[in-house]
Amino acid sequence: MNEIDPRLQAYLDGELRLEDLPVVLRDRAGEWDRLLGEVSRSGQAGAPIGFDAQVMEALRQEIGSPGPAESAGRRSRPAWLEWAVRPRSVTVSPIAALGLAAALALVVARPWSGDVTDPQEASVTGSVYVQFVVEAEGARSVQLAGDFSDWQPSVELADPDGDGIWSGRVPLEPGVHEYMFVIDGSEWMADPNAAGSRDDGFGRKNSLLAVSEISGT
Amino acid sequence: MLRAEAREQTDAELVRDSLAGSDAAYGELVRRYQDTLYRHAERMSGGRDEAADIVQTALIKAYRSLDSCRNPNRVGAWLFRITANTCKDHLKARRRDLVKIDDVPGLVEADGDDPADALDRRSVRSRIDLALRRLPLEQREAFVMKHVEGLSYQEMGQLLGVSVPALKMRVHRARDGLQELLEDLT
Repeated sequence: MNEIDPRLQAYLDGELRLEDLPVVLRDRAGEWDRLLGEVSRSGQAGAPIGFDAQVMEALRQEIGSPGPAESAGRRSRPAWLEWAVRPRSVTVSPIAALGLAAALALVVARPWSGDVTDPQEASVTGSVYVQFVVEAEGARSVQLAGDFSDWQPSVELADPDGDGIWSGRVPLEPGVHEYMFVIDGSEWMADPNAAGSRDDGFGRKNSLLAVSEISGT
Repeated sequence: MLRAEAREQTDAELVRDSLAGSDAAYGELVRRYQDTLYRHAERMSGGRDEAADIVQTALIKAYRSLDSCRNPNRVGAWLFRITANTCKDHLKARRRDLVKIDDVPGLVEADGDDPADALDRRSVRSRIDLALRRLPLEQREAFVMKHVEGLSYQEMGQLLGVSVPALKMRVHRARDGLQELLEDLT
């Protein structure tokens, strides 16, 4: 492959002016300017008209986001439940974070007396949604395993923006839970942010998470 | 005199309201960034329908994990990263985009299976599109961000989490590749 002269590359990067280039490269620079101008102009079109509405409709269908309930004529969930089931960043630090877990449970573990029409919602009534967050830069996959999954690494964590912070949301029954992260399908790792741990009997320590509950209204 | 002033909500406010369950707030974020995201996806994928699918997938993915956006004031950059990653995942799954430049005999012989491409091949833009699609993904991404979206290397570095020298290298190699693929245009 013929490589472009480094001085021309510097010009195209905006680091050299045209007059700084040797005469022999200036014609070439002009050709590149025209080409890059064409490239730039060809990329000016934005999203199609109505694209935002299409995205929001797809979002409602895929996630079941309540949307503007009034206009859609659909059931509106209580605001506290919307809050409860929405993923959020809670760095899990079990035991020492008992207060946090209790506070979380205080809000989310309250039974909902509204109409239950969504099976997924119904199945997790009484559970507390906990967001697990772990830093695993360079990992190809991260799963969560614990007593709540019979120690099967079946809960996939996600890192959609590729910043190495993986997270996932799990409904847990009130009580104390043991868990670990599984990196790339094979490396078991305790939660470095967990304030509590327990020997697993095989020379390793499981991380601990306390989830508490209060009486419903 | 009473004057009603509509203040535009900040990105951080829209993120907060979206997390509180406001569809309207997330819809506003979508409207605010859809053009930028779409342009990137279109230039990366080479197709408008494909770009729409990619951006829609990315925006749904982003909604699902909106709480992990650690700097809501920069939610646009965060959405861009998700879209860029979704783009790359999508294109990796499309085997024909993984063809190396060196393996391609030349644009005039390429893409015989796509009648639309054959019809458009005579236009400069279409040839540029085809050439871009033959660049390795990381080079194509860097070139599109630099020359289609007009970002500086510093801005690109912040969005992609890649060093400026590495990005420069990708852009330079992309230009080398385009020069070869578009020999009569440069």
